[in-house]
Amino acid sequence: METKTIINYTHRQAGHCESGATSNLFKFNGLEISEPMAFGIGNGLYFSYIPFLKIQFAPMISFRNLPNTVFKRSTAYLGIDATVVKKIKDPEDAMNLLDRNLENGIPTGCQVGVFQLTFFPPEYRMHYNMHNLVVFGKDGNMYHVSDTVMELPQLITREDLLRVRYAKGAFAPQGKMYWINHAISKPIDLKPAIIKGIKKTVNEMIGIPFPLIGVKGLRWMARDLKKWPKKHGDNKASFYLGQILRMAEDFGTGGAGFRYIYGAFLKEAGELFDNHQELLEASDMMGKTANKWREFTYMGARNCKNRSKPEENYGTLSEKLLEIAAGEEKVYQKLKKIKF
Amino acid sequence: MGSTRDEIDDKATGDDELIYTYNRELFYHFDKENGYTQKVDYQNPCNQVIIKQSWDAAEERLEEVKQMVILGKSSPIAYYMEKILMEVPMLAAYMEIPKWRVRRHLKSKVFKKLKPEVLAKYASIFEIPADQLTNQDYLK
Repeated sequence: METKTIINYTHRQAGHCESGATSNLFKFNGLEISEPMAFGIGNGLYFSYIPFLKIQFAPMISFRNLPNTVFKRSTAYLGIDATVVKKIKDPEDAMNLLDRNLENGIPTGCQVGVFQLTFFPPEYRMHYNMHNLVVFGKDGNMYHVSDTVMELPQLITREDLLRVRYAKGAFAPQGKMYWINHAISKPIDLKPAIIKGIKKTVNEMIGIPFPLIGVKGLRWMARDLKKWPKKHGDNKASFYLGQILRMAEDFGTGGAGFRYIYGAFLKEAGELFDNHQELLEASDMMGKTANKWREFTYMGARNCKNRSKPEENYGTLSEKLLEIAAGEEKVYQKLKKIKF
Repeated sequence: MGSTRDEIDDKATGDDELIYTYNRELFYHFDKENGYTQKVDYQNPCNQVIIKQSWDAAEERLEEVKQMVILGKSSPIAYYMEKILMEVPMLAAYMEIPKWRVRRHLKSKVFKKLKPEVLAKYASIFEIPADQLTNQDYLK
């Protein structure tokens, strides 16, 4: 059956795949929400360090929340009618459901693995399953997709799309898809959603009584980092460090970049709350911490370049991380005290 | 560390050139004068070094496994698994068999007794012709 349906969906590049997709889906449905706004409301900011879990031969570090958090929380907090299908057992069903959505004019977000994502930059194609893209058209066997990492919309065959939607491994997508049900006609007040979003993020970063999550996790990682050269030797320490940096800088913005996005969110929020002084100050502080993250990755990159002869002392790097942790903690403490 | 952003930028761009120029991405920046800005650009040279390190490490691991296969300590499955950057749990998930079975298949003794159907399934995951698993020309 030859079918051609291409939805008039605008592709915009973004710093973070899921909040970019979420923001673009909101815009398609008539709600002008920027990427930082979607990221902030949907709790994109996160940190966890799980040294006993190894992913691609290095300790697991995550700068982002679980897949789909941003979409789920931002639609929930904004009170928007959306659907998330978590898991579809039969790949054919998953593709048919996608086709049906496209015929009904609904652009649909999908979680995918990037290893076999044909159009993806080759240097990023490792087994990473938490990527998101939006499918917005179909022409015979070819699907039109909007991937916010890429400059332009892309084409992918049905077989390839099916394969990446059923990539296996940690956080396997299992055909997960999500979409917004109706065009958003009534005006939506962002303020309550912003307050909820900030409270939740503050809680996740400093409120959870578990040492590996949020600022506490960051400190734990800083302390471990110092021990790596002695414990594992210079080569492995450098590889582990590289893994942190890759997580911090990969895919457009990565973890360090998320701090910029969050800062931009705080700024937008501050302007929305009639130039709320404390929010704007917090935004500035966040920007400064984000710059420190970037300094940290520059320092670290020098160690990765010459693996057996580290230029930077791991102690210095660890101190830098502790400084970042302290800086971030101040931002969250400040946000916690704000009375809206 | 008393270095400013400018100094760091100089160091980053001074002696490095871009390794990856397939796609430009959107980056956020912050400074006091302009606040938050966005820019579409290639990944900066510093980050490209980090990405490259990760690929170099993968290559080194592959070379190690290759030596093990030549010595007869590991099976070609171990080689191809490493080649597509997989680990046992992931390969087991694709094979739809328990992890311990995949682990056994990595031994060259067990590998020699594998049935053609099992080999064919491995080959399809590795995206190679079925006979390439038993034909070890790639090691030369």
